[in-house]
Amino acid sequence: MSRRYDSRTTIFSPEGRLYQVEYAMEAIGNAGSAIGILAKDGVVLVGEKKVTSKLLQTSSSMEKMYKIDDHVACAVAGIMSDANILINTARVQAQRWDRNHGFQLYMSDPSGNYGGWQAAAVGANNQAAQSILKQDYKDDATREEVVQLAIKVLSKTMDSTSLTAEKLELAELYLTPSKCVKYHVHSPDSLTKLLVKHGVTQPAAETS
Amino acid sequence: SIFEYNGSAVVAMVGKNCFAIASDRRLGVQLQTIATDFQRISKIHDRVFIGLSGLATDVQTLYQRLVFRHKLYQLREERDMKPETFASLVSAILYEKRFGPYLCQPVIAGLGDDDKPFICTMDSIGAKELAKDFVVSGTASESLYGACEAMYKPDMEAEELFETISQALLSSVDRDCLSGWGGHVYIVTPTEIKERILKGRMD
Repeated sequence: MSRRYDSRTTIFSPEGRLYQVEYAMEAIGNAGSAIGILAKDGVVLVGEKKVTSKLLQTSSSMEKMYKIDDHVACAVAGIMSDANILINTARVQAQRWDRNHGFQLYMSDPSGNYGGWQAAAVGANNQAAQSILKQDYKDDATREEVVQLAIKVLSKTMDSTSLTAEKLELAELYLTPSKCVKYHVHSPDSLTKLLVKHGVTQPAAETS
Repeated sequence: SIFEYNGSAVVAMVGKNCFAIASDRRLGVQLQTIATDFQRISKIHDRVFIGLSGLATDVQTLYQRLVFRHKLYQLREERDMKPETFASLVSAILYEKRFGPYLCQPVIAGLGDDDKPFICTMDSIGAKELAKDFVVSGTASESLYGACEAMYKPDMEAEELFETISQALLSSVDRDCLSGWGGHVYIVTPTEIKERILKGRMD
């Protein structure tokens, strides 16, 4: 491919493109995907776990879901060393701001573009995921319906055949009855229950 | 002394699987009282409290920095700080300003993982002083030493500890012109936090 215009992030190609930025976006396209969906009573985040080796020491923390502040959480896809730096900066900066604009979902990428979304997908097969979301997203969906949609999207876009709790992480952000923002991470047990409930975990039933 | 500009009294005591921390409520400018509802004790999390005596502006600034640092610790470690760890954090933050210190003397009290109470105090540049029974600080510290020395017994239950710390505080601030106007007491057990406002000699 072009070797002349991609040595630095600030060099434009004759067609007016920044190759380094495009390569970075390409790298994210190969990472495990993450999906966020807005509900009327909260936000739901799901992520695809890529590292599922039995030898790996499983820490209590999750692979790609991070709490930023009491009222903010994020899911990331891409290079984890870079993500850690961004998460750290976000946590420090979050201490300076106030809250109260209802539930929101944002997506950003290496080019620095960002925007608010009702449903967003990043990582592997994000275009397929995005188009399912476009078809099935309903404006007034409850959190429960949105969890179902998120699991459905992930089960259809993931490369592996059967969806299990080890390959998935799921978190919800919502208001408690006392109007406190709560960030809830699902345990493997409750994930398994959800997968059975929504009928996506028939081991080796779907063979493609 | 700038430590006596606003006036203050803070004390913490250890009981049986519990602790108490108490302070006065006066904010003054030398001998003139400005406010009678000043907060010197703050909750860091359910099991760790800090009381800051000394200059009120620095009390509030230091408190904000400590809350900030604890929040980042919580996010990164996904757990609360142990009292011992928190005391080391306060000490380090204070010593950072060795040659222009925050003009505060902190009192830190907390319950460890095994419900063992921990109390400690330090000077304005972070030299820790650990104690098994009680710690005091503020303009009323000298009278607090006397009152606590006379009233303290080891292994008190929560209710008796509340009576003791309250009597010690109220009798001490009456002997100090710069602190008083009632008191603020927290009793912390493994299962609950009791917060009480005391009325004393309101003059």
